[in-house]
Amino acid sequence: MDGIRRREVARRIFAKELNGSTHIFKGNEEKSPVYVLTPLGLRCNRVFIIAALLEKEEVQPESGIWRIRLADPTGSFLGYVGRFQPEALESLTDIEPPVLVSLTAKVRVFEGSSRTLVTLRPENINISDIEARDYWIVETAKSTIKRIKDMENESSEDAKLAKQIYNPNLDEYRKAVKEALLKLKEEYEVVESAEEEEEEIEELEFDFEEEEFDLSDLLEE
Amino acid sequence: MKIEERIEELSSQLYEKFKDYGISKKEIAKRLKLLLLEFKVPETEALRTITNYLVREYQIPKEEVRAPTTKVFEIKEPGRWISVKAKVVQLWEPTSPSISQTGLIGDETGLVRFLIWSKAGKPEVEEGKCYLFKNVVTDEFGGSMRINVTRYSEIEEINEDIKVSEELRYPGELEIVGSLVAIQQNSGLIQRCNECGRVVKSGMCPVHGKVGWYDDLRIRGVIDNGENTYEIILNEENIKDLTGIDLEGAKKMAKENLDRSVVLSELKRMLLGKYLKVGGDLVGRFLMVRRVEFYKPEITAEIEKLLEIIG
Repeated sequence: MDGIRRREVARRIFAKELNGSTHIFKGNEEKSPVYVLTPLGLRCNRVFIIAALLEKEEVQPESGIWRIRLADPTGSFLGYVGRFQPEALESLTDIEPPVLVSLTAKVRVFEGSSRTLVTLRPENINISDIEARDYWIVETAKSTIKRIKDMENESSEDAKLAKQIYNPNLDEYRKAVKEALLKLKEEYEVVESAEEEEEEIEELEFDFEEEEFDLSDLLEE
Repeated sequence: MKIEERIEELSSQLYEKFKDYGISKKEIAKRLKLLLLEFKVPETEALRTITNYLVREYQIPKEEVRAPTTKVFEIKEPGRWISVKAKVVQLWEPTSPSISQTGLIGDETGLVRFLIWSKAGKPEVEEGKCYLFKNVVTDEFGGSMRINVTRYSEIEEINEDIKVSEELRYPGELEIVGSLVAIQQNSGLIQRCNECGRVVKSGMCPVHGKVGWYDDLRIRGVIDNGENTYEIILNEENIKDLTGIDLEGAKKMAKENLDRSVVLSELKRMLLGKYLKVGGDLVGRFLMVRRVEFYKPEITAEIEKLLEIIG
């Protein structure tokens, strides 16, 4: 009964790491899944992302294939949606950039003559919100930090292999994660102080309304 | 292993199996020694000979040899023929017409999945009732053990109330925070067969053909936390808790739009890609939902924690 293939996990990964991937694993069987090996040693076939959808445009007029670009705090993802992704295509019709979206997507790698290109093939797209996006950054930061540690300790075969192939500058990744978190932290500090200000404004408005009421009384007289 | 030790081990096993019938361990060991040491008979033949002898001599029922009565916690290996006295704890919806019923049964020692094949031609069991499942075969599915009722099996309802203790009832209780990454086929406002509850498509039940049906609201989906995936089923109550849409509301939406699929579209819009906190029992790759809510993260605290780790 092991013939039933387990569903591929949707990994959490920042654009910077995903776009740096060039190595692919292909199984021997015709239908075996394709994985990319990322610079930090993640074997990945499917991803879940919450990011800002910046652009959507039809590749050629009337082609029915749409190119989308999304940005997270570290870089941007490129994706293509066509008629073989009916669910994603249908929801994309109603979504106008710029807007925060969540998407579950398969990872594809095109090997050109001079370089490889990592793209996404979304399975579904939906409108998201700031809170979910922030939690995605937290989740993704957490899993990226874990991969950095695993690579330092060479604690898995994939980490060792990725180190051999990419020899990534771990400090660069650490810095990118830290910047993403600090940006987020700043945002929360701003939100908190804004909320305080809002309260004061409300009180002022209340005073003002009372005055207005008083004035109308005077007018009636 | 020395042959003497092996004889000791085998006689203990046989003794454990048949001790209720008044046999002595010494007698078994004596016979084993004779067959294995003096006659050099292969081990399987020796065991078979002794088992046959014991069955004859002590009037042990044949079934007890073929499919020994087993407690649930003893079910650990696939491919064994056994009999189990247990209570039907939960019935799940069969995923294929070849399955008549599937779900969880339990006794005072644990829980195990069960499956009654349609070809077995057995009457249906009911949730909360106790049965003797005779001559069933074990297998492993999705990482946990399961018993299979085939046409060689028998199911007898028994007049005993087997206590499945609350503690054991939920052996794999778990709380998962993850994103709902997929909503699968047969979700939304669905129609179920009046006879068996299976999903009816264009008025046809996969088992009973053209039948009467009733409406139901449910979602088959996948929760994914970036490390694992969990298949979940949200029932009407879960869906109402999350979205405010209940069965009546869904039927009204379908009627107003002259289209049942608007319900699914709306549920997808409200739930796909959202972070949910799901509490339930893990059985294989299924998470049987007991509670579900939108996840409210503590972003600021999480950021502080991560910044500390990263240094």
